[in-house]
Amino acid sequence: MNKRRFKDSTFNVMTFISIISVTFLLGMIFWFVFSQGIGLLNFRLLTSDNQAVNYVGAFSSDNYPEFMDPSLESDVHFIERYGIGIAERRDLAGNTVIEFVYVDPDSPFTDIALLNGGSLSVTSGMTLNRVAFIERPAAQRSQGIMNMVSALSDEGNTIRELSFTRPGGGIRASLVSTLYLIGLTLVIVLPFGIMSGLYFSEFAKNNRLTRITRNFIEMLSGIPSIVFGLIGLSVLIPFTVRTTPATGGNLIAGALTLSAILLPIVIRTTEEGFNNVPRPYREASLALGANRTQTSLFIVIPGALSSILTTTFLAIGRIIGESAALIFVLGTAVRDRVGVFDRSPSLAVHIWALMTREPPNIELASTIAVIILIVVLILNLSIKLLVRLLHRGRY
Amino acid sequence: MKNNVIMSNLDKHTQRLLLLFSLFASSVIILIVFFIVTRGMLPFITDNDGLGRVSLFRFLTGTVWLRGATFVSTAYGAGFLVINTLYVVFLSLLISFPISILSALFIAKICPPRIAQMFRMVVEILTAIPSIIFGLVGAGFLLPIIYTLATTLGYRSNAGLGVLGVVIVLALMSIPTLTTISETAIRSVDRSLEEASYALGATRAQTNAKVVLISAKGGIFAATILAVGRALGEATAVSLVAGNAMSGPSFIPFDITATLTSMMLMGLHETSGIDYDIRFSLGIVLLAVIFIVNVTLNFIKKRVGDFGE
Amino acid sequence: MDNIYEIKNLSVHYGAFQALDNIEMTILKNKVTALIGPSGCGKSTFLRCLNRMNDLIDNAVVTGDIRFKDDTKDIAKVNPIELRKKVGMVFQKPNPFPMSIYENVAYGPKRQGEKDKKKLDEIVIRSLKQAALYDEVKDDLKKPALSLSGGQQQRLCIARALALEPEVLLMDEPTSALDPIATQRIEDLIAELKKHYTIIIVTHSMQQAARISDYTAFFYMGELREFDTTNRIFTNPSLKQTEDYVTGRFG
Repeated sequence: MNKRRFKDSTFNVMTFISIISVTFLLGMIFWFVFSQGIGLLNFRLLTSDNQAVNYVGAFSSDNYPEFMDPSLESDVHFIERYGIGIAERRDLAGNTVIEFVYVDPDSPFTDIALLNGGSLSVTSGMTLNRVAFIERPAAQRSQGIMNMVSALSDEGNTIRELSFTRPGGGIRASLVSTLYLIGLTLVIVLPFGIMSGLYFSEFAKNNRLTRITRNFIEMLSGIPSIVFGLIGLSVLIPFTVRTTPATGGNLIAGALTLSAILLPIVIRTTEEGFNNVPRPYREASLALGANRTQTSLFIVIPGALSSILTTTFLAIGRIIGESAALIFVLGTAVRDRVGVFDRSPSLAVHIWALMTREPPNIELASTIAVIILIVVLILNLSIKLLVRLLHRGRY
Repeated sequence: MKNNVIMSNLDKHTQRLLLLFSLFASSVIILIVFFIVTRGMLPFITDNDGLGRVSLFRFLTGTVWLRGATFVSTAYGAGFLVINTLYVVFLSLLISFPISILSALFIAKICPPRIAQMFRMVVEILTAIPSIIFGLVGAGFLLPIIYTLATTLGYRSNAGLGVLGVVIVLALMSIPTLTTISETAIRSVDRSLEEASYALGATRAQTNAKVVLISAKGGIFAATILAVGRALGEATAVSLVAGNAMSGPSFIPFDITATLTSMMLMGLHETSGIDYDIRFSLGIVLLAVIFIVNVTLNFIKKRVGDFGE
Repeated sequence: MDNIYEIKNLSVHYGAFQALDNIEMTILKNKVTALIGPSGCGKSTFLRCLNRMNDLIDNAVVTGDIRFKDDTKDIAKVNPIELRKKVGMVFQKPNPFPMSIYENVAYGPKRQGEKDKKKLDEIVIRSLKQAALYDEVKDDLKKPALSLSGGQQQRLCIARALALEPEVLLMDEPTSALDPIATQRIEDLIAELKKHYTIIIVTHSMQQAARISDYTAFFYMGELREFDTTNRIFTNPSLKQTEDYVTGRFG
């Protein structure tokens, strides 16, 4: 009797340990990703280009007024002479830089004639690398901020040349690419999926052809996404190159690839949604003289709205997270000009690119992962809320 | 609500149009297989720009992978990749299967309903986490631990990359789907079977272990087949922890390894030539492996199911 | 004649709904007691009290006193697993486990700790014989239980219950899901079994109660209306309501 009770408790304890481990796993993933990534998360990251751009130039004019000290943060040094405020900060990659925190609109720094031609204004956020003087050796960033401040403030020093940088490390491009991908993919796969789902639910005959068609569509879900990536590379890219202004890998090809991946689940979910629309509604419509097309358009599709929305959100979640298929089609080079006919990695592919570099940039990858996780969480919660809301008002 | 209603002309057109869409959707898989196969066959039947044909036999059974253009060779061996892939997936199942089933049992039968809902959500969130993030956490968190483990045990380890990392990452990725589907299967077991067990004086643990799990066997098996299929095809997460071995197969937990999918992700920059085509050949092998494994497991499922125990 | 159950003040509530109200009854050993009454009158609830299966229902509240045999304690205070070894149950719809015939019958003894293969074989054969099923299945005991017909499955469930050698067998409408021939076989079986076991059977069929039982209890709306020998109940009941029910004027 005691032996049996012991066996029973062990069994029960093991089930408890299992679920606790699973919960622990979730916690660990979130903890790791957030602790690594949250440090870099700020608005600038989301809006900056990835590539840093270096500029070299000099003042266009020598006339500049006196400047008043606006109140700035405590670590900012205001250079009265030129009307700029600089501080020692960290850039998005974690390096120490001298950042322009404030540039007065009348400051000579707003009108720099570049060596390569053209002129540019220094804006806040840019970093100062080096200032060359006529009278004394150049002041470098590596010499520290105090050195720079005193060199610039000294009335006896005349600036000969400036070297500054618009910093990169931002993920704006990847964000925008991901948004484009979502839009394009939904535009392609939703109509396809809904119409196929409608066919199976409303119009398909119960014959061999229907069964075979269904089987073939279901088989798609068994194909790993990397194979879809190969198809994207070998079929969809040439196809889009021939039919659009694209000249290589592009977002449209990426969207087509994702559409193929999502097709089975979209069809399945919408078909289920259509089947769940109660029979009486259809019968009432037909009894009022509407034909099947009208019934489908005005009764069935609206009736399955919650399913359609659910599948949209699921698709968005899948698109954001998909990496293997898109690595081939979009490449891993992060660009800053994002066009629908250009290639530019999505967020997930960007993580991959960061992790396969030497050395891997775990912090930035985690930051992107934080963004992805938050979005995915919100999507999931929204699906739940949606289902509850929409079903309350209906049947 | 289909065919007993007379259709207007518009409806006939609609039906034809929708049929077209469905047929197109169903043809996608045919197109995929066609293109993969035609591209992937090239290394075996063409001259590959002077490098010579790749021997199909050597490909299927080989244990070394030499980049063609670089090494001026055709010694592409995918045999060890197949063994590696099957090996790591099998091992990962040893970890994920018990944890998932027991968790599912806990949520479905042992836990009070309100807490069960909470755990269910935990599993749901895990299901939604993209695979690349599992790869990220694996590479960033798991690898250092494996490295420390290896060195304390006296093994050489390449920064923790290798078999053990892949097995753990695959196991962690399989747990959410396995748990969810198994839980559904467990909950759909007929209540009267449980009652019969209790009426015979069994305890809750005995009822769960001997009746509930056995009755849910079919659903659990189906869940496993699904999880195995996904694990076989997993690419990015695996490639971040595998270590990219060029020969094998690798069995020791701390040896670097490579799977079919991780090898496909290597050498991204070729757009033509043998290194490009050979990726498609790997694609054929991958599809074949998934297909064969699926068929085998389904066959076993039917046999065990018929027997009733 | 000894009593196998002494029931006093038994009441059962499911939440706000009262399923049984103050039942008082004595059940005699080695007799067949039938519980009859219209749907929802509480007879199944009563039956499930006798082996504490109502414990499995979350909002069931059971009050009162049930004494099993010579126990001085109410069965609520007894280990339910021990109780269920002595009081077996057969359900309305046959519910064999998705295992072989052998494993189904051996299930009870195995869970109680029996490991000896020889003993288990003995138990299985004995139980199957007692349930009048052995001759039909003896060629292949490893066959799946679900491949048997409905009537055979129910006899298997009886064998499964008998494997624990209980003293009481509770049967909840055991033949209502079976065809007339299978029903007949089980009724014959009950007549045999009562020599060794006490049987308490819930039944919807008056004729069945009249055919096989020694004592009959008439339940109505949660109350025990009348309890007497089957003979009296069916030929000369005390209450008019009882007479109305057994003659089919209602229910």
